[in-house]
Amino acid sequence: MAGRIAAAALAALLLAVPALAAQQPYVLHVLILTCLYAIPAVGLNLMLGYTGLVSLGHMAFAGVGAYTAAVLMVDAGWSFWLALAAGVLGSAAAGAAIGAVCLRFRTHFFMIVTLAFGLMLYSVMNNWDDVTRGAAGFPGIPRPAPIGEWSFGPLSHFYYLALGGALAAFAAQWLAVRSSFGRVLVALRQDERLAQAKGVNGMLYKSAVFALGSALAGLGGVLHVSFLRVAAPASFTLAESINAVLIVIVGGAGTLAGPALGALVFVGLPEYLRIAAEWRLVLFGVALVLITLFAPQGLAGLLARAWRAVRA
Amino acid sequence: MSLLAVEGLAKRYGGVAALAGCHLAFERPGVYGLIGPNGAGKTTLFDVVTGIVEPDAGRVRIDGRDVTGWPAYRLAAAGVARSFQECRVFPEFTCLENLLFRARAPESEARRLLRLVNLEKYAGEPAASLSFGERRLLEIVGTFMARPRILLLDEPAAGVNPALFEVLQRFIRTMYDERPLLFLIVEHNMEFIMALASEIVVMHQGAVLERGAPHAVQASPRVLEAYLG
Amino acid sequence: MLTAVLEQTLNGLMAGSIYVLVALGMVLIYGVMHVLNFAHGVLLMVGAYLCHFFFTRLTGSYLAALLLSIAALALIGIALERAVFRPLQGNLRSQVIASLGLILAIEHLVIALWGPNALQMRVPATEALVPIGALRFPLQHVLIIGVTLAIIAGLFAFLKYTKLGTAIRATSEDRQAAMVVGIPVERVDWMTFGLGTALAALGGALIGPLFLVFPQMGDAPMVKGLAGILLGGMGSVPGAVVGGFIIGITEALSTLVLPTDYRDSVAFAVMVLILLAWPRGLFGVRVRGED
Repeated sequence: MAGRIAAAALAALLLAVPALAAQQPYVLHVLILTCLYAIPAVGLNLMLGYTGLVSLGHMAFAGVGAYTAAVLMVDAGWSFWLALAAGVLGSAAAGAAIGAVCLRFRTHFFMIVTLAFGLMLYSVMNNWDDVTRGAAGFPGIPRPAPIGEWSFGPLSHFYYLALGGALAAFAAQWLAVRSSFGRVLVALRQDERLAQAKGVNGMLYKSAVFALGSALAGLGGVLHVSFLRVAAPASFTLAESINAVLIVIVGGAGTLAGPALGALVFVGLPEYLRIAAEWRLVLFGVALVLITLFAPQGLAGLLARAWRAVRA
Repeated sequence: MSLLAVEGLAKRYGGVAALAGCHLAFERPGVYGLIGPNGAGKTTLFDVVTGIVEPDAGRVRIDGRDVTGWPAYRLAAAGVARSFQECRVFPEFTCLENLLFRARAPESEARRLLRLVNLEKYAGEPAASLSFGERRLLEIVGTFMARPRILLLDEPAAGVNPALFEVLQRFIRTMYDERPLLFLIVEHNMEFIMALASEIVVMHQGAVLERGAPHAVQASPRVLEAYLG
Repeated sequence: MLTAVLEQTLNGLMAGSIYVLVALGMVLIYGVMHVLNFAHGVLLMVGAYLCHFFFTRLTGSYLAALLLSIAALALIGIALERAVFRPLQGNLRSQVIASLGLILAIEHLVIALWGPNALQMRVPATEALVPIGALRFPLQHVLIIGVTLAIIAGLFAFLKYTKLGTAIRATSEDRQAAMVVGIPVERVDWMTFGLGTALAALGGALIGPLFLVFPQMGDAPMVKGLAGILLGGMGSVPGAVVGGFIIGITEALSTLVLPTDYRDSVAFAVMVLILLAWPRGLFGVRVRGED
C-alpha cells in the first residue's frame, strides 16, 4: 500500500515538474537529460543487471537507432513517430544480428567482442560521410511535428516526450522482469549450465534480451538526437558505453529503479556539486570501484537498506 | 526398445580417452549404481547423456529415438534430469523458487518434497544460506520437479554429512516407489549405493567392465583388480 | 610497391611491439589471477606521464626516467592488486566493472592534474634516423622493436629458468595444484601484477617520445593488446606475442588498401574473424572453471 502511494506521488510530481520549475529551465534540462540517459540504461540493465551480459558496446546501438531515424526524417521526409519506430526496430535488428555473433563467445571474450563491434559501428558513423555526415555530425534533426497548437519546441513540452519515453522503457523493463522471461534471465545470470539442464535454451533468451536491450538503446538514441537537433558520433563512443555501464552499476544492477537512480546521479550530481568535469569523472570512477567492492546493489540497494533500517 | 541406450560411445579430452567403446542399455525403470575407479568415464558418460558434451563417436538413444548431440535443454524437455558432482543450485533464488523453476509439478508438490527432506523451514530462504549437505538435498529434490523419466545423480553423497545419508536414501526410495523411473547414480561411497541399487554397473577405462547384482559385483575379481590395479 | 610494404611492415612491427608489451602484461596477470585488467591501458599512459615527469623535472637521462617510471608503476600495480583485484577474485563481472571504474578515475585524474592537452617528450638522442634498406626510420622506432624483442626473450627465459617464473607458470596452469605443492600463490599474484604493470609502463615510456603524451594514449594500445591476446589465446604467453604482432602488422598493411580512417576497425574485424574460426584463439589454452 505504501509502495503504491509513493508511486502515485512520484508520478504526480513528475507530471507537475514543468509547472513547478517554470522559472528554472535548468531543472527541466537536467531532467530531460536524465530521461535520455536512463532509457538506454534500462536496456543495459536488462542485459547486464538481470542476465549478466557485460556489453561494452551498448551505446553503439543507440547510434544505430539515432542515425536510422535521422536519415529517414531528414533525407526521406518521414514523420518523427514513424522514424522513431524504424529507429527502434533498426537497433533491435542490429542487436539481434550482432548479438548472435557476440553470444557465441563466453564471458571475457563476449565482453571484448561487444567492445569491438561497438568500435566498428562507431567507425562507420564517423567515416561514412555520405550517409551519416561523418565526424562533423548530422544537423537538422527535427522535433516531432506539433500536435494541433502544441509544439515540441519548448523545453517543457519536450520534457513530456522524454518522460513518456522513459516511462515506456521502465514499463517494458517491469513487464520483462516480472514475467517468466525475467525469471529465466536471472537464472541464466546465476548459473547458465544449471538453467540449460532445466530445459532453458540459453542462446534464445540471451539473444532476445540483447535485441530488447538494443531496441531500448535505440529509443534513447532517437530521442536524444531529436532533443539536440543533431546526431554526432561523439555521443556513441566507447566512453559513452562505459558511462552506460557506470549508470547501471552505480544505480543498482538488476534492480528496477537502478537505471533511474544512476542516470539522475550521473547527470544531476555534477551540476549540483558544480565541480570541474574531470574531477566529477574521477569521483564516478572511484564510486564505481567502491560500489563493486562494497555495495554491489548500488544506490538502489543502499536506499532499500536505509528504508528497511528506518522502518525497523 | 530400451528406455536408455548408449552404443559405442567415445570421447577424448586432449590425449586422454574418457570414453572408449562404451555400450550400455537399460530396458526398464530401476535404481542402478554406476561405479568405477577415478577416470573410468562415469561423469563423462553423464555429460554425454545429458547433452553437455558431444561424443566423438557413438549413439545415445532414448526409447529408441536417436538423441545424440542434442543440447542439454532439449534433453531436459525430453525427460532427462540430473544433479551435478559439484552441486548446482540457484544461489539467489529461495528453496521454493529453485524448485519451481521450470517445474512440471505444482507448488504443493514442491512443499511436500521439501517436507520429506526436512527442508520446509527454509522454503523462503535463499539457497546460498543452506549448508552444503542441505543444498545437495535441495538439488536432488529439485530434479524431481520436472517429472523426469531418466534421472542421473552424480555423486549425491559426496560432501554430505553421514547423518543426512539416511534422509537421502529414504527420499530416493520413496520417490521411486511413487513413480518408477530410471535412476542412474554415480557413487564412490559403496555403503550408500549398495543399499540403494538393484543393479550395479562397473566402468573402467571408458567402457563397461561388469554389470550385475550388488553382492555379485562386489565379489568379482575383475572389479577388484580394476580398483587396485 | 615493395618499399611501401616494407615500410608498413616495419611500422606494424613497431606498433605491434607496443601491443605485445600490453598484451604480455595482461596475459601474465590473467593466467595467474584470472583477472582481465582493462585498466592496463591507463597504466601505460601513467607510465608515460611519470616518465615525462621524471625526465623533465628530475633527471635529464631518458633511461633513468624510464626505469623510475617502471618501478613506480610496479608499486602502483601491486597496490591495485591488493586493494581492488584480490577482494574481487572469482567474480568476473565485478572485476571488469571495477577496472572500468579505475580507467575512469585514473584517466580523469591525469587530466585534472596535467590538463587535457598533450605533452611533448623530446629525447634528442633517439631522434636520429636509421637507414634500413631504402628507408629511414627514427632510432626510437628501432629501439621500441629491439627492446620489445629483448623483453620477450628475457621473459621467456625468466618464466622457464627462474624460481618465480616457474611459480608463475605453475600457478597459471593449476592454482590448486600449485598451492598443494607449496607455492605461495598470494605472493605470486601481486608479484605478477607488479610485473604486468611494469611492462605496461615500459610501453608507455617507449612511445612517449615518439608520439605525444596525452590522457587517451593508452586506450587504443589496450584494446589492440586485448585483441592480440584473444587472437593468440587467453592464457598463452606465446599467443600474446604472436597475436600482438599480427594485429600490429595487419593494421599497418591494411592502410595500403583501405582508407586510414578504418584502420582501427581492421584489428577488430581480424580478431572477430579469427575467433569465429578458433573460438579459443590460435594457441588457445583451455582454462579451468570457464563454463
